[in-house]
Amino acid sequence: MIDTRTAPVTVDATTGTATTVAIQRQVAAPAIRVDGLTKRFGTDGPVVLDDITLSIEPGEFVCLLGASGCGKSTLLNIIAGLEHPTSGTVTVTSGSAAVMFQESALFPWLTAGRNVELALKLRGVPRAERPGQALELLDLVNLADAAHKRPHELSGGMRQRVALARSLAQDRKVLLMDEPFAALDAITRDLLHEELERIWRETGRTIVFVTHNVREAARLGQRVLLMSSRPGRIANEWRLADTGPRRIESPEVSRLSIEITEQLRQEIRRNAH
Amino acid sequence: MPTDTSTDQSTAVPALPASARATSNDDFRTLEAGLDALQTVPLAERGPWRRIVDGVLPPVLLLAALVVAWQFYVVIAQPRPDLVPGPFNVAASIGELWSNGRLQQAVLTSLARGGAGFLIAVAIGTPLGLLLAEWRLLRRALGPLLSGLQVLPSVAWVPAAIIWFGLTDATVYFVVLMGAVPSIANGLVAGIDQVPPQLRRVGTVLGASRLQLATLVILPAALPGYLAGLKQGWAFSWRSLMAAEIIAMGGSIGFGLGSMLQQSRDLADLPGVLATILVILFVGILVELIAFAPAERSLLRRRGLTAGGPR
Repeated sequence: MIDTRTAPVTVDATTGTATTVAIQRQVAAPAIRVDGLTKRFGTDGPVVLDDITLSIEPGEFVCLLGASGCGKSTLLNIIAGLEHPTSGTVTVTSGSAAVMFQESALFPWLTAGRNVELALKLRGVPRAERPGQALELLDLVNLADAAHKRPHELSGGMRQRVALARSLAQDRKVLLMDEPFAALDAITRDLLHEELERIWRETGRTIVFVTHNVREAARLGQRVLLMSSRPGRIANEWRLADTGPRRIESPEVSRLSIEITEQLRQEIRRNAH
Repeated sequence: MPTDTSTDQSTAVPALPASARATSNDDFRTLEAGLDALQTVPLAERGPWRRIVDGVLPPVLLLAALVVAWQFYVVIAQPRPDLVPGPFNVAASIGELWSNGRLQQAVLTSLARGGAGFLIAVAIGTPLGLLLAEWRLLRRALGPLLSGLQVLPSVAWVPAAIIWFGLTDATVYFVVLMGAVPSIANGLVAGIDQVPPQLRRVGTVLGASRLQLATLVILPAALPGYLAGLKQGWAFSWRSLMAAEIIAMGGSIGFGLGSMLQQSRDLADLPGVLATILVILFVGILVELIAFAPAERSLLRRRGLTAGGPR
């Protein structure tokens, strides 16, 4: 059985947003349900994920945090359907999920606009509607002017934003993100946090965000799940009252980061024999 | 319901003023646009004139220097003219071949055959490469053989081809195909092998079917490797063609550059031999410059793969 002690950390509730979000959450069925999920590589390889059970509400922003080798990316890949569990079940209520990776993986022979259009095409959007929709999606990430540019002409941050627009083009209720900002510099990452949060609020997507960056998790998540390594289990979770956008340098994020880091280090220490 | 219990903690942190929390949408857009501008380097395109000067001038100058050195050697060392003809003898020989029309005939015959052979090789090599790249068992079985064929000089097939097909164009085409098909197939396989796995993964995530993945993701991604294979395939076609034309003469085989080379040798006409070699070289360079180089350059530039390009 997994250990899900809940250590709630509250962030001062000053606005009414928290309650409205909470009401929506009580009504709907979970967006993602993971039940007794175990994953091992090969028939008698090491257990990567051990009996993980969790449920993610529609519209929730969940950060999956852990040190290297805790299987957080594997868990995300299984939810995405890219890998298969050894035992247990994973249900994505809306069908399938959009995925965004650490590398933008834009198609280098297509312009930014065409990259988004390709996602629309694979979704079955009629040809005539694609350019307009692609431009709207690029505008959502503030890159409408860069639609004609090719990936190599864009900076790393811009490429990730095009990749984000491309994942949004899939029009799935669930967006899975695997360390999407890990390769970016701190200034760019800070802006992308703000961008992603705004898009999350505007589009109401359910987001599962994998990261090894504690502050990033504390900055973005409504709920932070800490994973232990070898085997990967959910070690702890923190829920944050949603009080609107917060800054990475804010005291509330710092306080939560300190607490999470403390426990993360405990989990890492357990691996020293 | 977000749990909200430890109120004592939350009161310890004074609430931030609203202005410090969120940036307004317009402010944010300006901020982001500013960072984008800082992080992208505008492309400095060289003009077409500059590109021609940069690309054409150095080889032309070197060629001129070589010809001048050659002429100096002939004038100073006075070698036997039947062993070392001067550049003027060779030029005169080219002029003569041109004026009696044999040069044009040979170039056209060889180019037509080389081109046709190359196109047939593309038509065979491309599906073969696709099969090899996607069908593991076939690759394990046929892969080493194909690599071996690539190493085997295709001129080695000429005697066998003459016995099978006689002195006909079929002999020439057979030798050309044996030279070019392995290169083209292997180039495509290498191109497909080098497709980054993330691109396939993204294709799958975006919901591409097997066919869509192949046509919309894998083939375009493999294009640089495929083009390199085509280029090598053309080089092998041209080389094999010359070898076949030198060895297999007469019969119903038309008069190509290789035949012209062999005929000059039979007449102990060294200026004619050198003139023909220069023409063969020149045709090879011309095809590379006109057909492959521009295609390769634009392909690589569009993908940001050219040396010295932006990041």
